[in-house]
Parts: sequence; C-alpha cells; structure tokens
Amino acid sequence: MNQNMHQAGVKLLNALSRHADLIMQVYLSGVLDESKFSPKVIDSLIKQGILWRPEADAELRLKNAVRQLLEGSLQDERSRQIDANIGSALAGLKTLAQHYKEALQHQRFAESQAHLSDLSEHVYRLTETLSNNVRLLFSRINNEFGYVSSIDAKIRENQLAQSQVSELLGQLEMFQFDELSQIAASHRELRHLLIVTLQHSFSRATQELSIVQAQLLSLLGRFRELRGRTRLLKGFLLHMEQSPDFVPVNYCGLSQVPMLFNQAHSIIKPAVADVKRVEHELELQKLVSAIRTLNRPQKPYQSERAAHEIVVEQQSAVEFKEDKLKQAVEAYFCQIIDSGERLTALEYYQQHQLDFEPEAWLYQVIGGYQGLTLEEQSYFALETNGQNHPVYTGNFVITDVELGLR
Amino acid sequence: MMNEQGRILERLLSGDFICQISDEDAWRFLKTGGNADKIEIQLNMLNRTLASAAEGDVFFAAYQSLGDPERKVLSTQFQEISSHLVPLVEWLLLVQQASGTDVPVTQGSPIRLTELQSTIEDTPAFAEQLAKISHYKLFGSTSVSTDGQIKQVFKRLTDLGYMLRPNQDKQIFIATGKVEHLYEVIKFIDETESLSLAEQADNAVQQGSLI
Repeated sequence: MNQNMHQAGVKLLNALSRHADLIMQVYLSGVLDESKFSPKVIDSLIKQGILWRPEADAELRLKNAVRQLLEGSLQDERSRQIDANIGSALAGLKTLAQHYKEALQHQRFAESQAHLSDLSEHVYRLTETLSNNVRLLFSRINNEFGYVSSIDAKIRENQLAQSQVSELLGQLEMFQFDELSQIAASHRELRHLLIVTLQHSFSRATQELSIVQAQLLSLLGRFRELRGRTRLLKGFLLHMEQSPDFVPVNYCGLSQVPMLFNQAHSIIKPAVADVKRVEHELELQKLVSAIRTLNRPQKPYQSERAAHEIVVEQQSAVEFKEDKLKQAVEAYFCQIIDSGERLTALEYYQQHQLDFEPEAWLYQVIGGYQGLTLEEQSYFALETNGQNHPVYTGNFVITDVELGLR
Repeated sequence: MMNEQGRILERLLSGDFICQISDEDAWRFLKTGGNADKIEIQLNMLNRTLASAAEGDVFFAAYQSLGDPERKVLSTQFQEISSHLVPLVEWLLLVQQASGTDVPVTQGSPIRLTELQSTIEDTPAFAEQLAKISHYKLFGSTSVSTDGQIKQVFKRLTDLGYMLRPNQDKQIFIATGKVEHLYEVIKFIDETESLSLAEQADNAVQQGSLI
C-alpha cells in the first residue's frame, strides 16, 4: 500500500513536471487552449486530477489544489483567498489529541505515534495558513492593490480585505487556550504542540492583523481622498462648462481674508555689490573679469567721419613738373637726333653754358639714357670716356660720355 | 554666513512656497517645534506672518495686518489665481487620465515627461486636449507640435512653482506642495460658493456624460 502510494505520487509529480508548460499556461490564462496540446496528454492530465472540466461545455481548468500550490509557492498576489476556517481546524486538533491520549492510555504506542505526527501536521498547517493569510494581506497593502487600476476598484478591494481581516480576527477568538491546556494536560508533546506553537503563531497573527487593519483603514482614507480630489477637479470643469462666466467672489474684499489667499508679495531684491569691502575684492574681481560687455562710449556726430557720396570719374593723369636738369637732358637728346652727329655731354654743356654741376649733368645724362625704353635706347649709342683708377683696379672713372645715333 | 533660519526667511520673503519637495530641510525646520515661532517674530517685523496650507504641508508668508495697499496686492493676486484655475485643472486631469493609474497628481507625484508625451501622442483626444491647454494665456504656447506644447507647459509650471525638476539632465518632474494649495483653493471656492462640485461630478458620471 505504502509502496503503491509512493509510486502513484511520483507518477503524478512527473506528470506535473513533464507538462509544466501546459500547466503554467492554464494557470496564467485561467483556461486551457485545447487546440494547442494533444488530446492524449489532456486526457491523462484529467485522469490524474490535475485538470478538470467544471461543466460539460465549459473549458478545462486547473484543479484547485494545483492552483493553490502554485499560488502559495509563487507568492502570487492574484490569490486573494483567505482561508478563515479556523474553527473546524481547531475541532480537528482537539479530536486528534483525544485519539492520541486514548492510544497512550491503552499503551498502543505505534498508533499513538501516528496520531501525534498527524496532529503535528495539522498544527503546522494551521500556523502556516495563518501566516500565509497575513502575508497575503500585507502584499496587497504594499502594492496598494496594484492589480486593479481605478480608485473605485481599489476602494472595493480594500473593503473586501477589511472584511477578511475582521473575519480572521473573529476566527482567532475561537482559540481558547484554557480548553487546549486542559486537553493537553500533562503530556509534554501535546503541550508543546497545542500551547506553545499555537500560542506563538496566534499572538503573532493577532499582532500583525491589527497592523494590517490600521494600514487598510489609512489606505482607504487615502483612496477616498484621491477619489474626492478627482471628483472635485471634474466637478469644477463641469461647472465651468455649464456656467462659463462663473467668477468666484473676490475674497480679498472680505473683512477677514482667508489665509489661503493671503500671500505676501516678494519684498527681497538682490543685494548690491559693495566695492569697499576688502574681503569681497577677489570675488568681485573675478566677476569683473568675466564681464563680456563691450563698453563703447557714444560719440557726438562727426560730419567729417560720416559717410560721403563717392563720385567715380576718370582720374586726370598726374604730371610732374620736370626740373630743368631733365629738360636740358631732353634738349641734348633732341639735338643729337636733329644734327645726327656725335657730341659729348661736356661739349654740349660748354656750348649751352649750362649752370649745373658737371658731375650732376653727367649722371643725369646717363640716367636719362637708361630711363629710355629698350626700343628707344637701341636708336642711341652711349659711350663713356674715362680711365681706370690708378690705385684700385676694376674701378673705371668716367670723365665724359658721348652720345650718338646708331 | 547665513544660518538655516536666515535662508528660510529669505525664501519666505521672496514669496516662495516651502514644502517637503521644494525644500525638505526648510520644511522640516519649520515643522520642528519652536522654530516656526522664531521665524514668525522676524516676519512680524515686516508685517508678514507664517501661514500654512494643506494641513501643514506648505508654508508661505502672508500679511499680518491688511491695509489698503496690501488688499490691492491680494486682489490682483486673487484675480490671477482664479484665471489660472481652469487651465491648471484641465492639465491635472489630463495628466491623471494619461498616466492610466486614475490617481490624481499630488505633492510628490513624479511625472515622466517622455512617457506622458508618448501616451498623449498616441491618443488623439489627449493630444487635442493638450493643444487646448497649452494655448491658454497661462501657458502661452504657440507651438503646433505636441513636443513643443508639452515642454512649454512644463516649463511654465516649473516657473510657477507647481513642478520641480530635480535633475536638469532628466525629463522627470515632481509635483510640489503648491499643487496641494491649488486643491485647497478649489475646495475653498467649492465650499464658499456652495457649488457642491463632487456631487455634480457624480451625477455626470451616472448620466455618462463625462469622459
């Protein structure tokens, strides 16, 4: 029998793990999409009691036991069931304790051990349920009923949770420790289970539940306030739509102005820099160096700097008044062209009794010749008369130049 | 050097609202027993008094006694506030609807501009609403793009002190206590003029005529 149980259990667990995908899909969506899985698999799961069909034409769902297992292990906040049936659990405990005591009295120790382990199982299950319920309530408070979006739904959820809390507290009152201690009498194990363990979890649960209750109340208050605000805003807009020319009375004309509208205007203006404070000098200097404004003084109107109209016209050729020396050189050149004879510069100088420095005259003749264009130069021939310097070789001293036509 | 008290005094006198978001240190200072009295004495010298709104969430400087010049200031201020109400309320509702959580904007609500913008861009009704809001005189946007409009609206809100941008590199804004002050103002108008706004909204929801 025991062996068979073991095998059947392993088989069931294996089925669970083999079809984990399917089960999770059903868990998350609520119903099974039968087209996605083979009918054979579905059939075997139905036979093993994992899936079931609530009504003939309804869709397949997870069995409650499997769902609870998942909810409990995953700490899924969607589970909102609070198992508040503590009364029957307590009655069960009392019965089991009686069985145990009877077995001990008749000295059936093996049987008594079985009863005791059964009893511990029940006690621990009860404590676990209690702590689970409290945890569930706390998780709902902590995310402020995040699984519903509207404030109204949150308020309803909050009210449900409050009724569950009061139900739980009512059930907890059924713990009567004097009765339990009478049942346990002097049995050490029984006392430990029924009194120590249960009392421990009882006191913790009541303590936490009172916190839960307070938090739920304050949350409810907050939700109501939020709802009140939303209504206020919507109502205001609605009112403005219906009577667009609504203007509240100017309450500032009342003898007692409400504090809400009594706002003093700003009287503080930035302080002014004090240049005489030595300790500020560095800061002020920094500020001054950071100033980028260009400070150009406004100058009075200056007519001579003002824009004038510019007349563009042909510039007359600039002619310099040539000096006499140059005119004399030109006349010398002209005489050479007219006569066609060679004539030295100094001879011409003596013929015309020129009153320049003879050296300047010679320079001017040479310059005049070299000032001609190449084409004009080619008509003339200039020969220099002179001798080498007696001391320094390579130097030629010109005493006269002779100009002629080629 | 100026101490904390002086700093807070300066903020109050420049017309700032002090809340937990805009200046947590100052807010805590004012919340601590006795400190508010010290500030009060100094404010009294300038015909100011420390006022708080939204159950002590926001502090600001108010006039201690009201003469004619003070009343004049308050009157213009009031006209300004009442002209800002409609654009601000429309904006608050737009953010609330676009964020999809059905939670109104309150002090400390973070608003991610990029997320909000993409929701608004994807929903033509929101985009239309934003265009309407941004063209109010309060926001004064002339832009035709959603991007330009929403940026202008948030810039103006930050200037007015309703929003705070803690990190200049990020497009995340946080609502300040001034938003709470705004709610108080609407609540006050509602009560004083007995408009019963909440009932109006409820009736409209039942008739299915509102959003």
